[in-house]
Amino acid sequence: MGNKLGRRRQLVDEKYTRPQGLYQHKDVDHKKLRKLILDSKLAPCYPGDDDCTCDLEECPICFLYYPSLNRSRCCTKGICTECFLQMKTPNSTRPTQCPFCKTLNYAVEYRGVKTKEEKGQEQIEEQRVIEAKIRMRQQEIQDEEERMLKRQETGFSNRLLESSEAEYFSPAATSSSEGEEIVSVPNPATFRHPPRNREIRDDEFDLDPENIMLMEAIWLSYQEDNKHKHVNPNYGDATQLAKYATEVRLLASMAPQAGYSPSSSSPSGGLACAIASLAERQQAGGESSTNYNTYGGNLSTYNVHPNHSQTGLLSLDSHLQINDDNSEEIGGTRYGYDGNNDVSRGQYGEFDEAEDSGGGNIVPESFEEQMMLAMAVSLAEARARTSSSTPEAAWI
Amino acid sequence: MTSPSASSRKALSKIATNRLQKELMEWQVNPPAGFKHKVTDNLQRWIIEVNGAPGTLYANEVFQLQVDFPEHYPMEAPQVVFIPPAPLHPHIYSNGHICLDILYDSWSPAMTVSSVCISIVSMLSSSTSKQRPADDERYVKNCRNGRSPKETRWWFHDDKV
Repeated sequence: MGNKLGRRRQLVDEKYTRPQGLYQHKDVDHKKLRKLILDSKLAPCYPGDDDCTCDLEECPICFLYYPSLNRSRCCTKGICTECFLQMKTPNSTRPTQCPFCKTLNYAVEYRGVKTKEEKGQEQIEEQRVIEAKIRMRQQEIQDEEERMLKRQETGFSNRLLESSEAEYFSPAATSSSEGEEIVSVPNPATFRHPPRNREIRDDEFDLDPENIMLMEAIWLSYQEDNKHKHVNPNYGDATQLAKYATEVRLLASMAPQAGYSPSSSSPSGGLACAIASLAERQQAGGESSTNYNTYGGNLSTYNVHPNHSQTGLLSLDSHLQINDDNSEEIGGTRYGYDGNNDVSRGQYGEFDEAEDSGGGNIVPESFEEQMMLAMAVSLAEARARTSSSTPEAAWI
Repeated sequence: MTSPSASSRKALSKIATNRLQKELMEWQVNPPAGFKHKVTDNLQRWIIEVNGAPGTLYANEVFQLQVDFPEHYPMEAPQVVFIPPAPLHPHIYSNGHICLDILYDSWSPAMTVSSVCISIVSMLSSSTSKQRPADDERYVKNCRNGRSPKETRWWFHDDKV
């Protein structure tokens, strides 16, 4: 049962039972704090590290790295003990809000060092944020291109649709006189992509099926590669991933292009998106299929369990008062998230520790590679952006 | 009332300095779309160039934000104002003060300069008319001695724009 050692009574060096001086704490009951830390109700006050050397977690408030953090009860976001102590505004009559999700009566609990599953889940969420950012950028690029297209002469559309060469619209054309020309007769071709209301991601790719298949093949072979070296999926793979990303871009640029492609102003915008989506699909479905249209965003496939741990709960408003810990035994092995209606978050249930490293569940394993790939692509994109000589493209 | 000028403010605490350095590093890798940090050696005051988002009323307009950080950032909110000429917006006063709850009552230490910038561009982007707040003249007159917007008692009544 993993990290259950010292669950009730934590072996903490005396000096880590008091604040390390990150803040000038006012009215902290040091005796109480010490007891809470020793009883594993709060994370020890380890001095925060400036850099993420090994397996540390970053406190989202002070940006320092710690071996373990407290979790807010409402949204399970981490916070170090010293920042937590700062959250209660003195002399305030209002109940303290969670700094992350604004829920009233902010309270934290401490579950020790994060389990592998917790880390996996968090990384999945992080990945979604990265993907959403890529999509946003993609959207911006596309909107920009639509505006450019609108300014093209009519009659251009036919050529556009039939042309087999990649169209390159210089971003410099944008700057000329956007304001007045935007009302000119819209080009029929632009209606292929209504600028807003684009919920379904498939619409965002303006790549022909050949390209998509190519990328998928590359992606799969990459996954295949990595199955042989699962032992330590670490960041050393970054260069390889970057290589793959470049490869994808190269292949795509060689392949015949139908219509205009997002690569006209950003060499990898659409590809980044496609790769991100591939990664997402891989992770959601466990394996890939070639049917691009079945992607339905069905990501919340993890078991949902109503019970959640009742480990020591700390409320700021009761001033370090603890709720009774009536289920400590299961508290450590189980964790769950409160039913959270936030759609983007989805609902994750419990994972049995025995389940890990068993077959089938590829989620945490392949995740790092997936994220690295997404990152590599956006890096490549950034590089392409910075190397571009046209200032207009600089902030797309 | 203390003057908000950079020189008279207290220096950043150690934790504020550390956090801002990291925010700046993150910004350099991944700046919010449409924003450019103007390089200075002053960590306590950031000047940020804002490009109006394409397809909005502010497309092709460029503004400047001035962000001043208090000693106890991020426990205290930064002071964020537009350097005049400020965008014409129902929640932005002609002296550059911005009526936006997250800059005052609703600030949370979990927010960053980057997330504030995104809120500001979103506020600009959702505007449907380019006009000053109704009480602009009166408010600006009251602020004439260089009062900080953080000393204003804001009423956040309209969440549409």
